Amino acid sequence: MSVRPMLADDTTTWRASAREWLRSGNSLPFLLLAPSIFLMLAVIAYPMLTGFYYGFTSGSLLKFGKFVGFDNYIRLLQSTDFLHALWFSFIFAAFNVIGCFALGLGLALLLNQEVPFRGFFRVALLLPWIVPSIVSIVSWRWMMADQHALFNQIIGLFGGSPVYFLSDEHWAIAAVIAIKIWRSFPFMMLSLLAALQGIDRSLYEAAALDGASRWNQFRYVTMPQLRNISIVLCLLMTIWTVNDFDTPWLLTQGGPANATENLVLLAYRYTFGRNDVGLGSAVSFVTLAILMVLVVILLRRQRER
Amino acid sequence: MNWFGNAPHRGRARALACLAAAALVSLSPLSAQAQEPVKLNFWDMIWGPPEYIDSAKDLVAQFNKEHPDIQVEYRSVPWNNWYQTFVTAISSGTAPDLSTGAGYQAVQLYDQGAIRPIDDVVEELKKDGELADFMPNTVDTLRYDDHYVALPWGIDIRVWFYRKDLLEQAGVKVPTTWDELRAAAKATTKDGRYGVVGSGDTGGSHFLYNALLNNGGGLFTADRKLDFKNERNVEAFEALAGMVADGSVSPASTGYNSDDRRAAFNRGQAAFTLDGPGLIAQAGEQAANIGVVPPLAGMHGDKGTIFWVNNIMVYEQTKHPEQTKTFLKWWSKNQLPLWTKGNSGQLPTRSSIAADDYFKKDAARAYVLEHYVPVGKTTATNAAGIFPALNDLEGEGAMQAFAQELWQGKPVGPIVDTAEARLKSVLKE
Repeated sequence: MSVRPMLADDTTTWRASAREWLRSGNSLPFLLLAPSIFLMLAVIAYPMLTGFYYGFTSGSLLKFGKFVGFDNYIRLLQSTDFLHALWFSFIFAAFNVIGCFALGLGLALLLNQEVPFRGFFRVALLLPWIVPSIVSIVSWRWMMADQHALFNQIIGLFGGSPVYFLSDEHWAIAAVIAIKIWRSFPFMMLSLLAALQGIDRSLYEAAALDGASRWNQFRYVTMPQLRNISIVLCLLMTIWTVNDFDTPWLLTQGGPANATENLVLLAYRYTFGRNDVGLGSAVSFVTLAILMVLVVILLRRQRER
Repeated sequence: MNWFGNAPHRGRARALACLAAAALVSLSPLSAQAQEPVKLNFWDMIWGPPEYIDSAKDLVAQFNKEHPDIQVEYRSVPWNNWYQTFVTAISSGTAPDLSTGAGYQAVQLYDQGAIRPIDDVVEELKKDGELADFMPNTVDTLRYDDHYVALPWGIDIRVWFYRKDLLEQAGVKVPTTWDELRAAAKATTKDGRYGVVGSGDTGGSHFLYNALLNNGGGLFTADRKLDFKNERNVEAFEALAGMVADGSVSPASTGYNSDDRRAAFNRGQAAFTLDGPGLIAQAGEQAANIGVVPPLAGMHGDKGTIFWVNNIMVYEQTKHPEQTKTFLKWWSKNQLPLWTKGNSGQLPTRSSIAADDYFKKDAARAYVLEHYVPVGKTTATNAAGIFPALNDLEGEGAMQAFAQELWQGKPVGPIVDTAEARLKSVLKE
């Protein structure tokens, strides 16, 4: 294939048309967007592409490594740490989304009624969302750390033996999930409460006239009206849970014996603990790929409905 | 060529030329630079309570006063994300001229081309007779790749502590061997209290290092190959597992971090724990109730514990290596106030500083300096010196997970296998 060399006339024509486009009103939106686009490229696209490339190299944080192809990804798939982190991330996200949605919906339905001190409860129930994670999670640690902690004193009152919540794999997993639900439900509650208040009251009146029970009104009026926002909320919560570093790190540091180590903690450990940037980047991109697939599936289902 | 014409005018012309040259030199930027002091950036980790930072700042101010041609700027660096802090600074070209750092930081950064060897400084110290002031096994620990990569300044070490009240209540003597420790731990386990309290964080792995080094074991062969499952190491792990099996180790240990562990020990919930030399000083009202266990004799009579030689290193990015070395030598010699005023939790590496009254008055630290430091060993044991992989080995968490499983009472065999596989993966063996 032959390429025609650029002539002086071509350059002049190109410059003239560029000048014309800049003078026309069409260029204004692009010019206004340019700084934001540049910033986005600098702080999102560049680090992302660099990170993606690192996933194919063997370097450390200071030494640029050599290209190793898919070696890091192959090592990951063979690693029990990775498979466990993947499993825990799934369990963590699934239980948290279900738990905080159920709790948030229940409380939103309750606070949508005329209950005493409704305003107070609406504010008070937002506290877990507002309190900084370091404060709330460390407080939870104190309440469950050992045999003299609050929970064990309560268990002791009923004659039970102390439970070492953070020393046993199963209890630690349950504790991490429970605290994540506690931190997440206010967002669900607030969003669902707003959606509930937007439902047209006439729909309930019509349903009542047709003889629908409270349960049927909830099932056939409330839930369909909440469907779209629920999908968005569950999607957001899934992303936030998979990417959650604070809860497992501050509560258990991924222990005991890596039982509560999710993909984000694993990426951190590989990158900064083991100084293996390639492997850490590979974990991050696998996490990103999983989340992207999830987002596409959920958005497609939402569109189908 | 005669530049100045005839003789009578030559003297005046020369004088004029000299004046002009002097004026030029005095007005030139070169002269301005010579008058301006050299600025150095010194990053110091936080090695003690808040007053440590103030004492270090005062010390830097003293240096600046004594050396008007060098002005050092002090920056205190928190331990949180310390590695990222240094790596980011180095990769962005904003590394300090020199910094203090944890045990293996210098070798790791040297291996990546960021640290300037200080062989000339060590040579000068040797000539001045100052090298002999450093405690044995400190300067040479920082020799890597045939170069001295940093100068030791502080020792962190792990020591067994006991609660005097709990041992007295149980009628038990302070143990001197591992067997006696096990028996004492068992005897003091009663009424909701335990013999030993450990932790599941990095501090938990120190129990393992202490045990294996105390038993004459080591993680490496002389040629730096992992030797995790050697007879002495496994024997040491089994000794710890034995205490767990006896029910003498607090079941909360797995979930505890070092702060939790220390708090539980200070509250009297356990009779023994392993910690740094500053434990008693930080115990408040309970200080009088806490004693230092003498270095234990292992199962074969060996003595030993884990220690880290924390150091001060010079960065390749420095534009003023000579002035940096001047400060390095001064700091190393004059750092006593870091303890006397700053209450640093470290132990000094210089005998002249260790001989100060401050350490003599603190019986526990004096004891540790006299009895524990000489038997201190690094995680590199039985290899010579330290090397970069040690940082990954300690930072990756394999030993931490191993300690957690040990405190849970899992059988030693399988958890040793798991830990060995992970360590091999970290060390790329």
